[in-house]
Amino acid sequence: MAKSKNVVTASTAKQGGITLIMLFFAVIMIVPFVWMISTSLKTPIQVFEYPIKWIPSNPTWEHHVKVWTGAKSFGTYYVNSLKISIIATVGATFLSAFAAYGFARIHFKGREALFMVYLSMMMIPPQVLFVPKFIMFEWAGIYNTHLALILPGLFTIFGVFMLRQFFLSIPNEITESAFIDGAGHFRIFFKLVLPLAKPALATLAIIDFSWHWNDYENALVFLIDEGLYTVPLGLQNFILENTVDYNGMMAAASAGILPMIAVFIIGQRYIIQGLTNSAVKG
Amino acid sequence: MTNNWMKRQRLLGYIFIGPSMLGVLLFFLIPAAYSFGLMFTNYKFMNPNVDFVGFANIARLVKDPMFYKSLKNTVIFLAAVPVSIGIGFIVAVVLNQKIYLKKLLRGIYFMPYITSGVAVAFVWMLLFHPKQGPINGLLRSIGIDNPPGWLSTTTSSMFAIDIIWIWFMLGYNMIIYLAALQEVSPELLEAAKIDGAKPGQILRKIIWPLVSPTTFLLLITGLIMTIKTFGIIQAITQGGPGSSTTILSLYVYQNAFRYYDMGYASTLSWALFVVILLITLVQWIGQKRWVHY
Amino acid sequence: MSKKTWFAGMTSLVIASGVLTGCSGNGNAVNTGAEASPSASAPITSGETVKLKMWGGVPPESGPQAVVDAWNKENPNIQVEYVRYVNDDEGNLKLDTAMMTGQDVDLFVNYTLSHTNKRIDSGFALDLSGFTDYNIEEKMGSDSENWKINGKFYGVPTTKSSYFVALNKDALDAAGLEVPKEWTWNELREYAVKLKTGDGYGFLQHIEPYADPLDSVLSQEGYTKADGTSKLDQPLVKSWLETLNGMMATDKSTPPLGEQLTSKMPVEQEFLSGNVPMLNIGAWLLRSSNNFTDFPRDFKIAFAPVPRLTEAASDYVTRGGLGDYISINAKSKKQAAAWEFLKWYADGGMAPMASGGRVPASKDADQATALDNLLGDKADTYDLDSLKYVMFENETPTYVRSLPQEVIDMRTQEYENYFLGTQSLDETIAKMVSRHNEFLKLNK
Repeated sequence: MAKSKNVVTASTAKQGGITLIMLFFAVIMIVPFVWMISTSLKTPIQVFEYPIKWIPSNPTWEHHVKVWTGAKSFGTYYVNSLKISIIATVGATFLSAFAAYGFARIHFKGREALFMVYLSMMMIPPQVLFVPKFIMFEWAGIYNTHLALILPGLFTIFGVFMLRQFFLSIPNEITESAFIDGAGHFRIFFKLVLPLAKPALATLAIIDFSWHWNDYENALVFLIDEGLYTVPLGLQNFILENTVDYNGMMAAASAGILPMIAVFIIGQRYIIQGLTNSAVKG
Repeated sequence: MTNNWMKRQRLLGYIFIGPSMLGVLLFFLIPAAYSFGLMFTNYKFMNPNVDFVGFANIARLVKDPMFYKSLKNTVIFLAAVPVSIGIGFIVAVVLNQKIYLKKLLRGIYFMPYITSGVAVAFVWMLLFHPKQGPINGLLRSIGIDNPPGWLSTTTSSMFAIDIIWIWFMLGYNMIIYLAALQEVSPELLEAAKIDGAKPGQILRKIIWPLVSPTTFLLLITGLIMTIKTFGIIQAITQGGPGSSTTILSLYVYQNAFRYYDMGYASTLSWALFVVILLITLVQWIGQKRWVHY
Repeated sequence: MSKKTWFAGMTSLVIASGVLTGCSGNGNAVNTGAEASPSASAPITSGETVKLKMWGGVPPESGPQAVVDAWNKENPNIQVEYVRYVNDDEGNLKLDTAMMTGQDVDLFVNYTLSHTNKRIDSGFALDLSGFTDYNIEEKMGSDSENWKINGKFYGVPTTKSSYFVALNKDALDAAGLEVPKEWTWNELREYAVKLKTGDGYGFLQHIEPYADPLDSVLSQEGYTKADGTSKLDQPLVKSWLETLNGMMATDKSTPPLGEQLTSKMPVEQEFLSGNVPMLNIGAWLLRSSNNFTDFPRDFKIAFAPVPRLTEAASDYVTRGGLGDYISINAKSKKQAAAWEFLKWYADGGMAPMASGGRVPASKDADQATALDNLLGDKADTYDLDSLKYVMFENETPTYVRSLPQEVIDMRTQEYENYFLGTQSLDETIAKMVSRHNEFLKLNK
């Protein structure tokens, strides 16, 4: 009795210790976020103060108010960003899974070579792709529309690669037994593989969403009408001539980070022990 | 029969990868072919007068000291990738255990990846400030009289960028490792523990090999993303001081977006492509030795 | 397919697409005449509303919105919408992409000759010689010469742009120093030492005009020698490097460049809070210095011209002259209306822009109003005599920076390396010269 109690306290202490160590390092991870919030509550002259004041002495909410009520309210940008990011993320996650299954679980000739070509397309710097892209978009009539961001956003080579790696590590026994039961690839994909890959899918969705949400270069080049602008473009309004309104920009940026936190929290619920292993045993 | 089966498999394979392939063809392959063609022209962005210049851009690249300089900086930059993967793995393993505030901690370690780039740039500049920054303050207090100038000198700036990049990529590596760790069966670990394996052994001999496909993924994609990135450097140093943090992709960016020299930017891009491709091929061939599916 | 035909095919593809994207901007010179003819101005009187879009780099709240609102009220037939682009690499790219794809860009503001030249070469800036009812040279004065490209105006330079050294008058008085009307860098260096207190600095520079002394010398003598090679080894380049380096390393009267860059030092704030008594900057300082809410200040600001490197004052040219070069898109179908607006803007419509430091250049614009707008209710916090001197009365000839961006960047990289102590003075000069020569060879 006494012994087992000791074990419990020992492991509690150990858990507590590890938690403390991780919290210590967590401070370094969260510093810019704290700075963001604190700057959004400061006055311009306080921004550059040394030593850095993490908690402003006279916090002001005026920058936050300005972001939402000023001549250019962030509401429109927010809605646009949400629309683009959600559609692109959902589409890209599904399409990636579909292709990844093909590359990982279906054996056909030339698969590896095709995958290498596919992967190599990830290696070209995007800066030189934008000219042909906008010629193409203009021709297709989607330049200066949200489709110019959504359509290419549906395809992520990274996502296919990532899910391929995960699908490859799903034990063959699982799918083989399904084959024997007469299931085809489509059924296996939808009924077996997708549910098993929930942690990987959620992870991909989190990462992909953050990419779309923060995408600045594409939005800059492909969107002209201010009504179509996304949050990263809206942040540019705070760049003045030869100076930057850091307070306003950080107020907008800290609001801009909320959807990503929300996606992370939702996604994290699926990053839990998968069913793969029990399925093998079962 | 087998022939038919194989045909069917092939068709199915194409059906699965088809939609993605179409997207890649449209949004990557065709634009890439176009930029490949630009390599042999003197195309200046928006200027309708285009001339075919043969291999002039390639000849220019071979002689361009900035190309070699930026290539060297890129190599130093890449050193951050394995370090960040290593740390990301450890953090993921720790945060996959039973500890307090697990979910909150996971979120916090992912924060750098989603925090505004401007804030990231600004805060690291404050932290690295050679005179007033807290990092050098700490170093001085433990007796280091001449702490490095970090971002403010040409010799240390690239390493300061490395530190920032390790920090930035940590959350990304961690979250993908976390997903991979969910596939590691707890029963297996339990069995190993009962057999008397020490935690270090379990980590090295069981967990590490089991997540090797993920490590491979992170290594390849990490190298590719790191080679291609420029936004964070643009925000922090714009490639300076001097040209000490101008990595190849930033040099491409400057040629394309600042000088509008699309012909040369394309040439640089394809040089970059060759570098990434070679690194990836080496990894791809080498994976048989350590990646276990 | 043989190699040769493959290349040929590729090239024609490229050229075709290049033409495709740039086509409507082609041959602007040809249709200028037609567009500018009186018949083209018909829409203005026909009672139909013309909608114009003007792209500029100034945030709307710093003047442009007020300008446009005032015009729109007076001219129901021509309604102007102001679109703001950020005047950095990406913002300019956005503007250029918008023009290439035929978006509605009727007027656009150029801030550098480098950008202007690209837009002219690509056929987007309309040759204004088709319009004969407004003599740009006569209105804007002889400084407008700097904005003539191949003898023609492709835009109207609308503002007087001033660069100066802003001085903390109270600090100067306390040290018994005069406000100079002309001075050399060595004299400034002495001022900086005298004005420096404790660990603080005596002199700061905004990064934008940092290298102006070099351009001041070379814009006059030419950047290349008679044989076509680089002239960056001009002795005064060396003496600029040495002077500044001495101020950083020996006098410690100005911050080391590495420190300034990597801490994004807020030079305006440092000056306005009274920490540093001298600041090399441009007219945009006025916006911050008028803003007492964010930058409270208890001293008077005086102004001195930017010091010279040359010994004799008579050899000196200073940066400034005219700026905000507004062009009409050669592809625009509303050029006549755009021209009407542009004339009004240049002749004083732009007055509200003065609150951001932009004073109209036209002789027909009311300078007194502009000065009122410029200083607002803060006139008594400036030394007005020296302000008027640097902005209006100083007769020193001016230049507009014409060096290609590539050369500016490589020059900057090399002098940064020098100020950071990574390379010696001679090495720096040698590298500047060899890189410039390489550039000249490529762009013959």
